[in-house]
Amino acid sequence: MIMADMVQILVLGLALGGVYALMGSGLSLVFGVMRIVNLAHPSLVMVGAYIAYWAFRLGGVDPMITLPVALVILAATGVLLYKLVFEREARSAKYSEMTVLLTFALAMVVEGALGTAFTNTQRVTSPDYATDAFFIGSVFIPKGQLYSGIVSLTIISALALFLKYSAFGNAIRATTQNRDAAELLGVNVNLVGLVSFAIGIGLAGAAGALVSFVFSFFPAKHWEWIAILMSLVVLGGMGSILGTVLAAFILSVIAAYVGFFFGATWSTLTFFVALFVVLLVRPQGLFGEKPELA
Amino acid sequence: MPTIDTDDILEQRRAYNESLAQAADKTRAVWFPIAIMAALLALPALQFVGNYNYLIHLVLFTASYVVMASGWNVLGGFTGYISLGHNVFFAVGGYFAGMAFARLEISTIILAPVAGLVAGALGYLIGLITLRVRGPSFIISSLALVMIFRIFFENWEFVGGAAGVALKANSLPVEWAKLPYYYAFIVMAAFAVWASYRIKHSKFGLGLRAISKDEIKSESAGINTRFYKVMAFAISAFFVGMAGAVWGEYLTYIRPNIFLIILVSVNMVLMCILGGKGTIAGPVIGSVLIVAFNEFFVATLGASEINILATGLIMMLCLMFFPLGIVGTLARHRKLPRILNWD
Repeated sequence: MIMADMVQILVLGLALGGVYALMGSGLSLVFGVMRIVNLAHPSLVMVGAYIAYWAFRLGGVDPMITLPVALVILAATGVLLYKLVFEREARSAKYSEMTVLLTFALAMVVEGALGTAFTNTQRVTSPDYATDAFFIGSVFIPKGQLYSGIVSLTIISALALFLKYSAFGNAIRATTQNRDAAELLGVNVNLVGLVSFAIGIGLAGAAGALVSFVFSFFPAKHWEWIAILMSLVVLGGMGSILGTVLAAFILSVIAAYVGFFFGATWSTLTFFVALFVVLLVRPQGLFGEKPELA
Repeated sequence: MPTIDTDDILEQRRAYNESLAQAADKTRAVWFPIAIMAALLALPALQFVGNYNYLIHLVLFTASYVVMASGWNVLGGFTGYISLGHNVFFAVGGYFAGMAFARLEISTIILAPVAGLVAGALGYLIGLITLRVRGPSFIISSLALVMIFRIFFENWEFVGGAAGVALKANSLPVEWAKLPYYYAFIVMAAFAVWASYRIKHSKFGLGLRAISKDEIKSESAGINTRFYKVMAFAISAFFVGMAGAVWGEYLTYIRPNIFLIILVSVNMVLMCILGGKGTIAGPVIGSVLIVAFNEFFVATLGASEINILATGLIMMLCLMFFPLGIVGTLARHRKLPRILNWD
């Protein structure tokens, strides 16, 4: 019986990890290329979730179908934000601090706008698979979380393949490793920055569509997500997408066990405490190579 | 052959520096802050001629933010470590004094310095841990701190959990009920501004400013950067905790969602950035402007959501176009009015 419980919790933890992995990978990409700690990322996930919510509520559109739309809309928003805000900061002396504060302010703008437009009521989309589950013996797998995990891993794999095998992906990775050297070798780092920023924000939109049926959400909830996502990218090693994905699974499973043994309140605390411990013990995380932030 | 005495030279240099400082003091408009203080101390007399409770509340509210922003400025402005989690100390001060008031009936105004010291001690301990990282990592750790304390306070039954604790209102007639808190905050604000002036012009403050310019160089110049940073963290926590102590009794309740909301810590940061980080007058000007903005958005538009939107927008514009803040930008163009040059 206890064994079955343990397996059940493991499954639930892994299922949640999939969604967190997608939320975190966009953040990680943007940090890797642009050195921007995008505190507004979760609020943009929220925008994606609202797009999916209204499409479902008004048109009965399945969030899985809205997903690519949210991705494109948010990617376009990303281009706009990059052009309006972040490009001009590139030469600022206190660039990293500046961008953290800017994205923090942006998060407030997005939260305030969403709150004004849609109020702070809890929302959730409920396609029929969201409340259904598969059973394997006594272990149940919620369909919504399973599907979202599969979709999220598919998108992340596609991203990984793009980064690994396409010419532009190589340019992105080169810029991540060494911006100056990449520029010297003829990489248009400004374009790389723009495109990866757009992809990162687009991934936030895609994650939002998945989040819309996995969690209930309201505009102010993104603060909680910020700390959760930060713990993922910090544990994974800032800028490493593989690290972020692994961290997402590790921490969600630990959080699920903490929730089981000590109560649901303490399960989110896992992420925050992990963030602290990693920053202090191993600031470069699991896969990070650049201790420059330490 | 005349012998050159080193003591003589040092004495001459000291006298020369003093004459320079006196020359600078002559151009300083010391009367201006004193006049403001006098006006604010006399302000409650308006209650004799009408109902100015709202005005008194606004001044009190602004003064509370002057205390907090000036405190934040010691760490964020002088030392260059941006903390987005200083409302943790606001909560610690508030809960310490609030619980003492609820259980032992000791006035929070008397307890405020003690609550400040408690917050400062906690700040010292937290600083020992989080100040090992800098830049974005430090900012992230400060955000995580808020989340941890929020969960902690919401689940701690002794302090009432998420519902908090109701505190007894004082027995003064309604037109005078605000006055003890009003004077407490005015005095604390004046103390905070004076203290940050003294800190900025001390050897300690010079060390802090060196750290904000280049930490590695200042370390190799012999500054004990770790001790300096942690002390700056503790001092800034002290002021924020002191403000929190009286704030609870003034509101007559303590609850996690009045202390540990992100808007409180953002306000501290924004006031310093808008007014001018690392200046003395900056946090004061920032507090006045941001409180006025907040009142405008809440009172006229009636929605706290728009308030969040506007606060974020002001912060973005300020960061993009006036990163030095009002005082910093004016000073750079040598247009800073004499009455605002408090540095």
